[in-house]
Amino acid sequence: MSFLRRALALVLLALPLLARAEPFVFTAIPDEDESKLQQRFGKVADYLSGQLGVEVKYIPVKSYAAAITAFRNDQVQLAWFGGLSGVQARRLVPGSEALAQGYEDQFFKSYFIANASTGLEPGAQLSEALKGKTFTFGSKGSTSGRLMPEFYLRERFGAAPDQVFSRVGFSGDHNRTIAQVQAGAYEIGAVNYSVWESELAKGNVDPSKVKVIWETPTFPDYQWTIRGDVDQRFGAGFKDKVRDVLLNLTDPDLLASFPRQGFVPASNADYQPVEQTAKAIGLLD
Amino acid sequence: MTQPPVLFRLQGQSLSYGDRPVLRDIHLTIRQGERVALLGPSGAGKSSLLTLLYGQQAALSALYPQSAGLVDLLSAYQNIFVGGLERFGTLAALWNLVRPLPQARREIEALAQTLGLEDQLWQSVDRLSGGQRQRVAIGRALYRRQPIFLGDEPVSAVDPLQAQLLLEHLLAQHETAVVSLHNRQLALDNFQRIVVLRDGAICCDCPASELSEQALDSFYAEELSAPEASADVGPQGMIPSC
Amino acid sequence: MLSFDRRSSVRTLNGVCLLLLLLALLALFGADLQVYPVDPWHELGRIGRGLLLPAWDDFPLLLQALGQTVAFALLAVALAVPLGLVLAMLFHWRGVRYLCAAVRSVHELFWGLIFMQLYGLGALTGLLAILLPFAATFAKVFAEIFEQQAPEPGLAPGPRVRGLKRYGYTLIPQAWPALLSYTRYRFECALRSSAILGFIGLPTLGFHLETAFKQGQYSAAGALLWAFLLLIATIRYWLRPRLIPLYLLLALWLLPQTPGFSNGGYLWRFISVDIWPAPLRAGDWSGTLAWYSQMFTEQVWPGLVQTLLLTQLALLLTGALILLFYPLATRALAGPWLRWGGRFLLLVLRSTPEMIFAFVLLLLFGPSGLPAVLALALHNSGLIAFLVANASDAEQGSRLTRPDDPRGLLRYAYLETPRRFPALLAFLFYRWEVILRESAIMGILGIATLGFFIDSAFEEIRYDRAMLLIAATAVLNILVDSLSRRLRALARTDAQRQPGLIDPPQKRSPKQTMTRNTEPQNG
Repeated sequence: MSFLRRALALVLLALPLLARAEPFVFTAIPDEDESKLQQRFGKVADYLSGQLGVEVKYIPVKSYAAAITAFRNDQVQLAWFGGLSGVQARRLVPGSEALAQGYEDQFFKSYFIANASTGLEPGAQLSEALKGKTFTFGSKGSTSGRLMPEFYLRERFGAAPDQVFSRVGFSGDHNRTIAQVQAGAYEIGAVNYSVWESELAKGNVDPSKVKVIWETPTFPDYQWTIRGDVDQRFGAGFKDKVRDVLLNLTDPDLLASFPRQGFVPASNADYQPVEQTAKAIGLLD
Repeated sequence: MTQPPVLFRLQGQSLSYGDRPVLRDIHLTIRQGERVALLGPSGAGKSSLLTLLYGQQAALSALYPQSAGLVDLLSAYQNIFVGGLERFGTLAALWNLVRPLPQARREIEALAQTLGLEDQLWQSVDRLSGGQRQRVAIGRALYRRQPIFLGDEPVSAVDPLQAQLLLEHLLAQHETAVVSLHNRQLALDNFQRIVVLRDGAICCDCPASELSEQALDSFYAEELSAPEASADVGPQGMIPSC
Repeated sequence: MLSFDRRSSVRTLNGVCLLLLLLALLALFGADLQVYPVDPWHELGRIGRGLLLPAWDDFPLLLQALGQTVAFALLAVALAVPLGLVLAMLFHWRGVRYLCAAVRSVHELFWGLIFMQLYGLGALTGLLAILLPFAATFAKVFAEIFEQQAPEPGLAPGPRVRGLKRYGYTLIPQAWPALLSYTRYRFECALRSSAILGFIGLPTLGFHLETAFKQGQYSAAGALLWAFLLLIATIRYWLRPRLIPLYLLLALWLLPQTPGFSNGGYLWRFISVDIWPAPLRAGDWSGTLAWYSQMFTEQVWPGLVQTLLLTQLALLLTGALILLFYPLATRALAGPWLRWGGRFLLLVLRSTPEMIFAFVLLLLFGPSGLPAVLALALHNSGLIAFLVANASDAEQGSRLTRPDDPRGLLRYAYLETPRRFPALLAFLFYRWEVILRESAIMGILGIATLGFFIDSAFEEIRYDRAMLLIAATAVLNILVDSLSRRLRALARTDAQRQPGLIDPPQKRSPKQTMTRNTEPQNG
């Protein structure tokens, strides 16, 4: 067992080395195509590094919660958040700011989709026939897959989703919501419109089996959020510099990772409606 | 006069596990109706010899291996029943695990009576004493109902009086028997022919009437003084033979 | 407590089984096992094609993920073993027992999320997330192995030799083979945990597997799954005792760096602020009371009920599936081809993360408790059947086998199953708590188990709720643990004849030892 002791010693020695400081670090959870994150966002990091003149690193995360935690603990200083996760993160880190949002995020929307077996047709409002069906959200912390759909469900039916539907699941992801509703595992689902469009274009959606039955009004979604203390740590005006660099990002190859056609300015106030909604349905205290 | 047919014949048989020899150059013929006792110090190859013999007459033999191979969780009844599995259909045998078959139950209860197991028949065998377990294993062999009995120390864990009675019963139920024993007197009293093994070879094969307990003791006495390595030396020369 | 017939072990065990059956039947009334009409073939076809035609274009990335999966598992086990051993020696203290049960009740994923609050997303988080629950499990199982040792050698040194000396000179050497064999088995479990931790962002296999599965890139998922199966199936070829120090060094080198993380006292913030409900922190006692009572009626109690219902059903089904699966993988009951197939089946069942089973079964049956129960039962039965089959193979050719033993179905019914049954039941009780905490995967099925609520609390960054729910799970686990301790004591037919639950009797005839020393030792 002596090797165990040696390994223990080595680990204890190595631990401080594992926690090195201090490049400028960012993270991002794109709402579609999460494969090869390191490779694709590594390029974004290189771009930022070149423009900002500091070392920039990207760490991949898997969930909104992990992204928020990393932001809160100052492991990342900049993050590409969803609408809700951005609000949560900024509440936890006083002084942090929404810098920029995607062009599309100014008027984002969610689709309610239904399996063909339900016989539901597109309409101007959610049909009464939804009651008693099975329903799945996407990820629990998603704005377009959970927050907004739940808000409009409550508004329409005046009750919590689990009282409207016979069963409410969380598929964990927009793609899986589509797959499950298409297979009839769930009859209804709520999904990010941009993921739906892109899956449709890729031919992964069979229109005879699943279709959109309602779309929500628009809401603000993804945005870049930065910690308030970056100016002290990376030099005065650093925050503005980051904003400018992001707004001037035009390389389609880099933008495809998000995927957005470009970034436009955003502020914390833009996300007031999201915060109100989250409070209204009890996701925020 | 015609001799009874030969049941077992070994001609110059050797056996080894890996590179360790266990039996060497065994010549042995056993005819129907013979009662043979196998003697010899532990490690002499008695169990291996019995396994070889079993291979020659598997269909006609009731086996009692030294470890008994009982299934701890099953009751004494079920363990004895395993001996008779061949005579029952698969479905009947499976049902018997749920509820004992009436016929088997009658037969095995009678058997338990003769073995003195009537009070333990429905206990699982892991709760039985060594002697009781041994009798359950004898029950399994008896319930095989074959003409040949091959036993490896079948009465080692019971008291001398009971051993004598059990052995008599076993011999009465089987036409032919080859039994290894460590009690020399039991062997001399109950068997016609005695085969003594040492270091994997037969060193004595003669009628019981020509042997005495003292003569047999000498085979064991040598063992105590013999060095550990003697297994490789081939000690035939120094062994008394009849 | 129940009274059982002391004269018959089989009746005692039947009593235990009957009890499990009755509980499961009761659960059947409460549980929701509706089957929905589905049309899964399009999606299942894509999954099938992906598995048959796996594709991975970035080979170095795959290697890196495999390496880091092994690195986390190896280092965590290397640290958890000594820690578990120390705890095992203190296991007679109730406090240690409860602490360990509480630590075990939390899923590795949740440990990962907790440590992420303290140490960011990096090597230390991953290590601790495996290390902690594994040390607690080692403590429990090592303590049980010590309990099962024959008492005589321990008496020899005299009554005043206690503590470390007693362990060092009698119990540890005596139990060494069982300890070693269990550690080997746990290493395989650690590989699984390490892979699964990728789901929350560590750079192990699960990271890419979850992405691929989520995105419907099934050929990439297929490649990752095959790579993982291969890794597990070949453990015995690459995990050589002599190479372990080298591997450990490699593992340290392979651990991912944590960019930009400086520890600013997050531990204190976490335990002094984050995990307490806001009204309590504000000193608002009636608000606190309202918070707790709302949590209890809306989450803790319903979650507890759902969790227990699913767990009992899954437990019973697991038992039934073990009895079905294990003979396929044994020497005694399956021919060489069937056995190969059986071993492969068990490898797939025990190595595939339950989440993937749950997803596929959800497509087949629709959202209800059914896919959950099936997914849990398939995974756990694969694992236990593998251990049971190993125990059977190890006994082949031992003193206990006789040439006139029955064959085929009758051998299965009269010999193998009764001999395996006590150990099988013991394994099942071990898995009880595992099944309990794995109910966390049920979120995608829309079943509100305790795990579902814990997961929600973490997603909503409400650590106060998470901690309360985790505490409730821990209490439940402590109860289940002490109940299963009692049941296991009843199920243990004969301590002397079963030296270790994990280790079957090792005695073999010399010939068999010669030809079989390349046996899989990872039982």
